[in-house]
Parts: sequence; structure tokens; C-alpha cells
Amino acid sequence: MAEEDSEWIIESIVGYLGSPEWVIPVTDFMEHKCTVFDDEDENKLSYTEIHQQYKKLVEKLLENYMQEVGINEQQFLDACTSPFAKSQSLQDMFQPVLATDDFQVFRSLMVQKNMELQLQALRVIKEKNGALPECLTDGVDVMTELEQQEMKILEEVLKKSKEEYDEEMSRRLLSEKKTGSTSSRSSNKPNTEDDEAREATLTSKQSNSSKRTPDSGSSSIQCRVLPALRSPTKSSKSSNASSHQTVEQSDSREAAAEAYLEEAHREAGFSKPYTELLPSEQEQLQQRAAYLRQQRDKLHALKKEQQKIRQTAALEEPPASPTPAPTANSEISAEEKKKLQKRKHLADKLKEEVIKK
Amino acid sequence: MGEAQKGLLSVIEKLKGSTEQEVRIVLLGLDNAGKTTLLKSLASEDVNTITPTQGFNIKSVASHGMKLNVWDIGGQRKIRPFWKKYLENTDLLIYVIDSADKKRFEETGLELSELIDEENLKGVPVLVFANKQDLETASPASEIAEGLNLHTYRDREWQIQACSAVSGEGVQDGMNWICNNIVNKKK
Repeated sequence: MAEEDSEWIIESIVGYLGSPEWVIPVTDFMEHKCTVFDDEDENKLSYTEIHQQYKKLVEKLLENYMQEVGINEQQFLDACTSPFAKSQSLQDMFQPVLATDDFQVFRSLMVQKNMELQLQALRVIKEKNGALPECLTDGVDVMTELEQQEMKILEEVLKKSKEEYDEEMSRRLLSEKKTGSTSSRSSNKPNTEDDEAREATLTSKQSNSSKRTPDSGSSSIQCRVLPALRSPTKSSKSSNASSHQTVEQSDSREAAAEAYLEEAHREAGFSKPYTELLPSEQEQLQQRAAYLRQQRDKLHALKKEQQKIRQTAALEEPPASPTPAPTANSEISAEEKKKLQKRKHLADKLKEEVIKK
Repeated sequence: MGEAQKGLLSVIEKLKGSTEQEVRIVLLGLDNAGKTTLLKSLASEDVNTITPTQGFNIKSVASHGMKLNVWDIGGQRKIRPFWKKYLENTDLLIYVIDSADKKRFEETGLELSELIDEENLKGVPVLVFANKQDLETASPASEIAEGLNLHTYRDREWQIQACSAVSGEGVQDGMNWICNNIVNKKK
């Protein structure tokens, strides 16, 4: 009897973890809070605060869910530890739940989310950029080069974080094996699958977004594409004004703004602390930061819209099974690895150049 | 503060399903005591490029069949108020002292005694590392123990261990004490 119970409970839990009631608030939280999470070894004190907020959110969601379905904690636990829950795909689904108890898991989820958003933003910029001939005459070459460079660096960092994660997983696996556990799940492959799946959704989301909203915001993106770095004095006023606006919008943005400034700072390859820079350099950085912030906000808006669309779609049709075909994936992963290696090489070169400047 | 919340958290904790015993260790002490160096030395990492910690570091070390999750939180005065937030569910406190920094023995003693009074650290064993023994001006561990009044602690296990996080000397002895102590306590 207990086993039967576990089976339907697990099914129900999995259904819940894939439903908008869970996905939307959790994704929303991550997307809004991930901006401060970088890939540095050291953790910021603010991470702890965010982790606490996350715990509260997940607890509330799960409590509501359990109440609704009418199961208690013991049943929940029994189901989750039953053999039905041991598959890798289910374990992956549980990651956001485990993140409440394990700061390290939480941190890696947030770092990954931040990278994803940044990559996505860069791709959107690039796409919209490439389609504009005026920008080409306006010295877009320099800018795309810079963007590519940013992309490469970001990809490199993403890859590294993934490697670290894989390492950690295989270490865990090893120690699990040592303690005599018989589970034979391999940590590497599902992770690459996971990554690719994410990559795929990323690109598809993006093409969706560009199709669905051809007008909204595209013009502003296009013309603001980094005249900032080229002619700082000319555009400084407007971008300053916009940065003021966003600052006023909410205090929580301040932290994000700081992160952007830092990022812009690093990208520009300035070795001095921000305050010691020349005013013109500071201005440049501020513009860059404001610009990145705008991109991020636009992206948020786009994603929100998509979520709404998806939500309505989800109501009409049952959710598709998320497991991709494994054979195709292993092939891609070999290719992907090669690509990544190339990119890494390029990124290293570019980094060197930036630092020398 | 609902009981239900506590229950849910413990449920999630069990979800991890690892058979390995996990131990939460918090590593505290004044700035420049050598906490991060000690942490990196525990994790067998390079100790030559360490800068003052503004936030916190975490390393997981496998030892004696246990997984030690060590949290090293920055020791600068402005960060110390945040220590409290990291003490919940702590199994052991490691307190690091710069044995050569005699001028700040009083300050470090005050910080330690405040920690000992924290509700979340009630009965939690304390290991004091008398660090930087490689320096000539370092005070011996026994002297530091006396200065800290360690012998007056009646409500918990404690130990003082002379060490040098840079050379690694004494660090393993401290870890052995931890493992023996945790094993005794948790069983």
C-alpha cells in the first residue's frame, strides 16, 4: 500500500514541480535575484540573505502544495526517497528543492541563471544589431568585436562553472560509491544533456522573442547599441538621465547597478579601482552599466511576456515530456565540446589582449 | 515560528539521501587571524594568494568518513555582526587566533566570549587554533588558553591547538580532535 501511495505522490510532485504554480514564482525569484551572483570563489554576504528569502518561498510553495493535495511531510519524504524517485531526471527536478537546504547547490543555480541571462542578453543584442545597416556604418564593427569578446568570456566562465559542478558531482558520486551505495547514475552525461537542453531552450526562446515582438524595444536597442563607448561626451546626458530613472525605480536595483558597474569595469580592462579613474572613463563605465541594465530589464519584460503566453498554452495542452533523446545528445556533446574548446582558446586570446590594453 | 516549518526543512534535508554524515563547522576569529589560510590549507589548496575576506568562503572536506562543510566568514570589525547569521545548526566552532598579535588578545577574547554565549552555539564544542606559531613572536598555546579562560568552560568540549596554517603544522592534529569529538557526540 505504501508503495502505491509513493507512486502517485511522486507523480503528483513531479507534476507540481513542472507546473506554472511552482515554475513561475521560482524562476521569477531566481531571475530577479541572480544579478549579484558571480563566479568568484568568495561568497558575498548578500547571498545569505537571498538564500533565506528563497527558503521561505520554497517552504511556502511546498506547504501550500501539500495542503492542497492532502499529503503530510512524512508521505512527501517517503515518496521522494522511494525507488520511483531515484532516476536522474527526477533528481535534477529536485535541485531547486534541495537548494533550500544546501547553500552550495543554491549558489550554483543562481550563478548559472545569471550567466544564462547575460548570454541571452548578448545574443539578443547581437541579433538585433546585425540586422541594422546604419549601425554598420556607424562603426558597429568595433562593437560586435567587443560583444563577441564578452560572449566568449561569458561562455568560458559558464563552461568553467559547469566543469566545477561536474567535478563536484563526480566527487560526490565517488564518495557515495565508497560508502557502498549501489546507485549507478553517472553524473557527467545527464549534466551535459541538461546543459544542451538549456541551450536549446535558450535559442528557441530567443528566436521566439524576436519573432513575437519585432517592434517592442528593438528600435531603442538598436540605436543605443554602445555609442556610449565611442562618443562618450555626446550621449552622456541621456544615459545619465536614464540611469537616474532606474535608480529611482527601486532601491533593490542599486545592488544590481553596482554589479553592472563592476562588470563594465572589468570588461573595459581598467585595472584601477573605479574611483581612481578619470572622469571620462568613469562616465564611460556608467554608460556601459546603464546600458547593460537596460538590456537586462528588457529581457525581463520579454521573459515575463513569454511566460504568460506559455502559461496560457500550458492550460490548453498537457506538458510535454522533458526528456530528450539520449543518442542525439551524446553526438552533439562531442561536437559541442570541440566548439567550447575553440571558444575557450579564443577567449583566452581576447582576454590577453584586453588586459594588455 | 511554526513547527511545521522546521519539519519541512528537515524533510528537505533528508531528501539529499546521502549516507555520509555531514558536519557543519564555522570558522571564526579576528581579521588577519588566518581563517581563510587555514581553510585553504584544510582543502589542500594554494595559500599564497589570499586576500582579506569581505564575505565568506565554504569548503567541503572529507575526513574520517565524514563530510566537513567548513564556513569561513570574514573577521573584519564591520563584518562581525553578520557572524550570528551563520551559527544555526552548527556542529562545531573553530576559533582562530593570531598568536603573534598580542595587542589584540583582549579583543579576540571578547569576541570569543560573546560567541560562547550565543544561543545557537550552546554546548557546541570549540577548537581554538593558536595560529602563526611559525612566527618567532608567537605566544605559546598554553598562555593563550589561560588568557582566554578556556579552563572555565564547563558546558562544552574544548581544545586548543598550536598550529601554522601556512606550513600546515598542527592543522591535522586539530582535525583529528574534531573528528573524534564529533563521532563521540553524534553517536
